[in-house]
Amino acid sequence: MRWHKRLLAAGAVAVVAFTSACGGGKVRGTEDSPQPGTSQSAADATFVYVPNLDVVTDWDPASSYSNEIIAMENVYESLTRYNPQTKKAEPRLATSWTSTPDGKQWTFTLRPGVTFHTGKPLDAAAAKASIERTMKVGQGAAYIWGAVDKIEAKDATTLVFTLKYPTALDLVASAGYASYIYDTTAATGDLAKWFNEGHDAGSGPYTIDSWQKGQETELTLKKFDGYWGGWSGAHYSKISYRVTPELTTAWQLLQRGEVSFVQRLNSQLFQQASGTANVQTSQTPSFQNLLALFNTESGPLKDVKLRQAVQKAIDYDGLVAALKGAGVQASGLVPDGLLGFTPGQAPKQDLPGAEALLKEAGYGPGGKPLDLTLTYAQGDSDQEVLVTLLTSALDKLNVKLTAKPLQWTTQWDQGKSKDTSKRQDIFIMYWYPDYADAYSWFVNVFRSADPISFNLSYMKNDGIDKEIDKLPELTAIDKAGAEAAYADLQSKIIGQEAAVAVPYVQNYQRAFAKSVQGYVDNPAYPNVVFVYDLKPGA
Amino acid sequence: MLRYLTRRLGQAVLVVAGVVILTFVIMRLVPGDPAVAYAGPRASPAELAAARARFGLNDSLPVQLWSYVRDLLGGDWGTSLHTRRPVRDDLFQAFPASLELVGAALVVAIVVGIPLGIAAARYKGKLPDLSIRISSMLAVSVPVFWLALALQTLFASGLGWFPVAGEYDANLDATSPLHVYTNITAVDALFTGNWPILGSTLAHLVLPALVIAAYPAGVIAQMTRAALIEESSRDHARLERALGFGETAVLTRFALRPALNPVLSLIALVFAYSIVNGFLVEAVFNWPGLGRYAADSIRSLDTPAIAGVTLLVAILYVVANLAVDLVQGVIDPRVRSR
Repeated sequence: MRWHKRLLAAGAVAVVAFTSACGGGKVRGTEDSPQPGTSQSAADATFVYVPNLDVVTDWDPASSYSNEIIAMENVYESLTRYNPQTKKAEPRLATSWTSTPDGKQWTFTLRPGVTFHTGKPLDAAAAKASIERTMKVGQGAAYIWGAVDKIEAKDATTLVFTLKYPTALDLVASAGYASYIYDTTAATGDLAKWFNEGHDAGSGPYTIDSWQKGQETELTLKKFDGYWGGWSGAHYSKISYRVTPELTTAWQLLQRGEVSFVQRLNSQLFQQASGTANVQTSQTPSFQNLLALFNTESGPLKDVKLRQAVQKAIDYDGLVAALKGAGVQASGLVPDGLLGFTPGQAPKQDLPGAEALLKEAGYGPGGKPLDLTLTYAQGDSDQEVLVTLLTSALDKLNVKLTAKPLQWTTQWDQGKSKDTSKRQDIFIMYWYPDYADAYSWFVNVFRSADPISFNLSYMKNDGIDKEIDKLPELTAIDKAGAEAAYADLQSKIIGQEAAVAVPYVQNYQRAFAKSVQGYVDNPAYPNVVFVYDLKPGA
Repeated sequence: MLRYLTRRLGQAVLVVAGVVILTFVIMRLVPGDPAVAYAGPRASPAELAAARARFGLNDSLPVQLWSYVRDLLGGDWGTSLHTRRPVRDDLFQAFPASLELVGAALVVAIVVGIPLGIAAARYKGKLPDLSIRISSMLAVSVPVFWLALALQTLFASGLGWFPVAGEYDANLDATSPLHVYTNITAVDALFTGNWPILGSTLAHLVLPALVIAAYPAGVIAQMTRAALIEESSRDHARLERALGFGETAVLTRFALRPALNPVLSLIALVFAYSIVNGFLVEAVFNWPGLGRYAADSIRSLDTPAIAGVTLLVAILYVVANLAVDLVQGVIDPRVRSR
């Protein structure tokens, strides 16, 4: 054999050896798939969900804290589920619950006859074990159980929580993360490792059928025959998650009827979808709002007048118009659908007011020039719109805004810098609650913190801190008092302190097939489609 | 030959070592804390500290570099901060899909490019030559992202001739599960006789392979034309013409073989280039290859994964170059003495 032929043969052998190492004789597809050539029942309806990002990072229900929520909420269940219309937690695995007048003891009555996908019964002891494991693992959103002192399984259906301090535990139990009830005895060895091999131990309507990380169809769920809700009536029997990062491609797949639901489209495609015959669309305000946090501790914005001037310079209406449906006007710090939302507080641009405030501080047109720095998320086109509008508005007021787009890790590092001179004047970030409670904004973003974590306005106000600390108790035992406290706090933080401006609340813009019936967006569970609640149409 | 081989291998190893060091340094120079990328945007200080300890981020830079090199030599390419799986496993999953796509594209490029080059050389200076030169120039210069969107919109979404995206119809996983040996779907389907998946994969391959093939087809056509024109002006061609062979016979029977030597070298280099060039095409057609993995890694600042992709691509380039050098060394002994 000649040299070049030998080289060619060696190359071919190397490629085959490498690629063989990649595969290793596995079967791609469902665990209980029929053999090649056989066909599935024609009655099986599959709901095809198109996310933009990979679905699963962490399968462990204790520590899961990422995009996998879109699958987890169909596989696992929590004690309660939040309803944004009623602003209350509603029954899920728990059929009812009560709390003592001081809000420090909560008794949940569990639904009888529920079994895990592992075949074991879901009773109070199992629920206690799973919450205790989540607390022990202590990762992701496990902190939500921070108030819990003791859990007791009084009998098979009675679960009693004793708390260290009053908290609305029915809301905590409805969280999208860390509230799942699962079978802690599912694996004999390392449970986290077992989960992350692609197994589940939930009680939800669907169970994992196949998981192929990196594949286009990353995940398939199939119906759990023993689901407590039963399968009478029309339901989807399968869910398929088809990862499609390119929005145009996602839209084309929906148009062609190859997929059921597209998580996100850009404004232009969404407009197109709204006028397409075989497609439905929905817009729902989310629980995620954009915050412009002003540096109250150092730099020029230490002066409250300047902070108020910047608040007034923001073109809120223009911004929402430019977002073309991707955002709605905010009214206060708490989005609509949560306890604490204060209607009628939508801010307006007021350039004369801003100019007057700047002049009082010695700046503004004809006064000293003012230089401000701002950091925001790199690649976020919505934030870019805000920056463009604000830069232009401030420029007219003799204020030069230097905006830096940064990766989150860099932006956050700079914001947390111990050297105050390295910090920005305005920090732009989104905030959303881990469960349906407005307390998340106040305790994380506006309560004094040392070291700095998310309090990136660096506000230190003992009076406000004390009011924030009272919120959990009020929410647990005195809803009207909580409403009043939230309203008062927002007035102080946004009005008096001017620590923040809320440019807009993000809007979920979904597009889905006409055949999908019964879809309702629940902003307490970002991007989740509760597929069991849907009916497959023609 | 052995000495030449050793020298070239040594140089290749040096290049890869340089890439490893450079990649590591760039990874550490990129602003931002990898611990945050791993532990999540709302990680507590304790979780961040645990992540830093896990990835050795508290060690000095030289110690981190040494650990990285030592792990690489041991076959450990690190753990992805985004997927939380070994980077090597992720690459083993993604690379075969890219290989499948680029392999198909190169077949198209060769099948189209070489005959076009021959035709252009045969009709040098005439209308066919002009058309082929303009077409190949266009194929080389059109942005792949645009071409991908245009073909997808026209032939998939508009006319419905081909699937919009994906590697094959995912429903076939349920009806015709594929036994995976090489992770190259078309190859596995062919060897296991899984005709539904093979058919579906080939249908899904057409549009993305055509887009990726555009650049190499254009380059190959131009190179074949130039090499043939040069070869057909040599003394042996004049002799062949004098012996009564027609122009087509001179080109295809006598000039083509020697003219293909530089074309073969070019194909090896274009292969490595096409892997990277295909990243955007993979994104448009939702092809589960290295492109999507690289894009996800960059978006999530997943430095070990970015380094893994960079290293793999660098190795591909080095291996392709090495293969070209060795083939040239075999074909032309003068190369070995340079």
